[in-house]
Amino acid sequence: MSAEKQGAQHVSSRLMRESLMDRRLIASTDSPVRPILPNLNVIQIGGLSIVDRGHKALLPLLDEIVSNQESHAQVIGVGPGVRGRHILSVGLDLGLPTGALATLGAKSSAQNAYMVSCLLASHGFVYLEAPFIVQLLPAMLAAARGAVFNGVPPYDLWEHPPALGKLPPHGSDAGSYLVGEVFGARAIILLKDVDGLYTADPKTHPDARFIPEISAVDLMRMKLETLPIEPVVLELLTRARLATSVRIINGLVPGNLSRALKGEPIGTRIHA
Amino acid sequence: MPDTTEDAMLTDLGRRLISGSLSDAAILRATEATPNVPILPWVNVVKIGGQSIMDRGRSAVFPVTDEIVANLHRHKMILGTGAGTRARHVYSMAIDLGLPIGVLTVLGTAVAWQNAQMLQYLLAKHGIAFLEPEGFASLPHYLMERGAVICQGMPPYKLWEANPGVGRIPPQRTDTGCFLIAEVFGARKMIYVKDEDGLYTADPKKDAKATHIPRISVQELLKRDLDDLIVERAVLELMLNARNVKEIQFVNGLKPGQLTAALDGEPVGTVIFNAGAGPGDSA
Repeated sequence: MSAEKQGAQHVSSRLMRESLMDRRLIASTDSPVRPILPNLNVIQIGGLSIVDRGHKALLPLLDEIVSNQESHAQVIGVGPGVRGRHILSVGLDLGLPTGALATLGAKSSAQNAYMVSCLLASHGFVYLEAPFIVQLLPAMLAAARGAVFNGVPPYDLWEHPPALGKLPPHGSDAGSYLVGEVFGARAIILLKDVDGLYTADPKTHPDARFIPEISAVDLMRMKLETLPIEPVVLELLTRARLATSVRIINGLVPGNLSRALKGEPIGTRIHA
Repeated sequence: MPDTTEDAMLTDLGRRLISGSLSDAAILRATEATPNVPILPWVNVVKIGGQSIMDRGRSAVFPVTDEIVANLHRHKMILGTGAGTRARHVYSMAIDLGLPIGVLTVLGTAVAWQNAQMLQYLLAKHGIAFLEPEGFASLPHYLMERGAVICQGMPPYKLWEANPGVGRIPPQRTDTGCFLIAEVFGARKMIYVKDEDGLYTADPKKDAKATHIPRISVQELLKRDLDDLIVERAVLELMLNARNVKEIQFVNGLKPGQLTAALDGEPVGTVIFNAGAGPGDSA
């Protein structure tokens, strides 16, 4: 609350003695952010949509990642898939809180990420846990040929209780988006088993319309029953500084990833 | 999608989780109908302020550590630390250099860590350990054996901290990190030790007519839409969705006895409580 703190030993700075909860002070810090790795492409491989389908879906996609290795810096996030759903089910049944569910579920995506990293290892990709993303990602990308990381962010026990239900709101879409945002990545590409966003689920609604491009705010206003992306990513996009869009593409269709990396308007682009 | 729904061991909810979309509101609602099992219902989370306590040095810190030691055999405590003036300096520098929120969070975490280490040096002779987030599975053991543990208060979001709507200061700092520890463990109390008696209608150091607010609902506090707050705004927002923590308390660490009184359940300082009707109620 108060600004003046008698008796405290201060290091002089612009924020010294000020309340960091003060709106005016917070607003006064608004200024541009520099991208740390502007050439980076963050590619998220869906757990349920891609990895759980096994080699038939995954291997062609990894071949395509390798074929783009010379032209694009790629870090690969991976989602948890069906084992993540299973442990949510058991954990909920036992009455565990959201933070515990998040900690448990993150291990399923770590397994998937580790398997993907093994399949890319001969091409020089490394598997990086969160502390190594913090310390080593830039060095790894300079020295190694790419990196694989756990798409689920390391929120663990500190995951937010959601407004509705108990499921952890920050999954692998959110984690991959946040990696793209903090490094100021060139592109964030989410690989799923659908062509992008529709006005309804095309599997059950043949009259569903395809949406090639939409703003996060407009999409939130549509209040669609289900989304092919975690809803929290839309909120994060409204506060984007550097990563002002994500692209959802069908990772089961060969060539889609290469086209997205070239910047072609494929799939659905959701922007800030 | 591969057919994995035939496992007879799954509950009905489990089958829906595996075959359905996790953004489906009906499925999310169904997850509410599961029990909330508190993991450590007897633990108290106590946050020791950075700028308000630690930066003052021994004149403020020693009385607080004395009070913690006196309560070791009476109350189990997870002691989280704030960051304070060195965080403000490093935030200022990093903002000037154009670095993103996630990097500021990594930098701020180091300051809260330093304060936690200092607190641990002072309490080491009483057998009090410091735990990193990765070591939290050992918490129950240390709490049972020694009555308290120390951790740094920042949530472990690191580069994954989300941007605030306005400005470039990480919105989820040590108030938030400690609150979420209390929430996930279903703690008995969440107590913030700062350098004021709690919440006032205005800044008592600047406005002589300011009156103390002993108790206020989070809904009322958010409605007042104050420019400045006693606690990170993120904590108030999270309180609306919290399943376990229904109130948080603010005490003056410069006044001996307030922390003990709060641990004993007395209404000292200011209590902010959730007046919502039920779990997940954000009305």
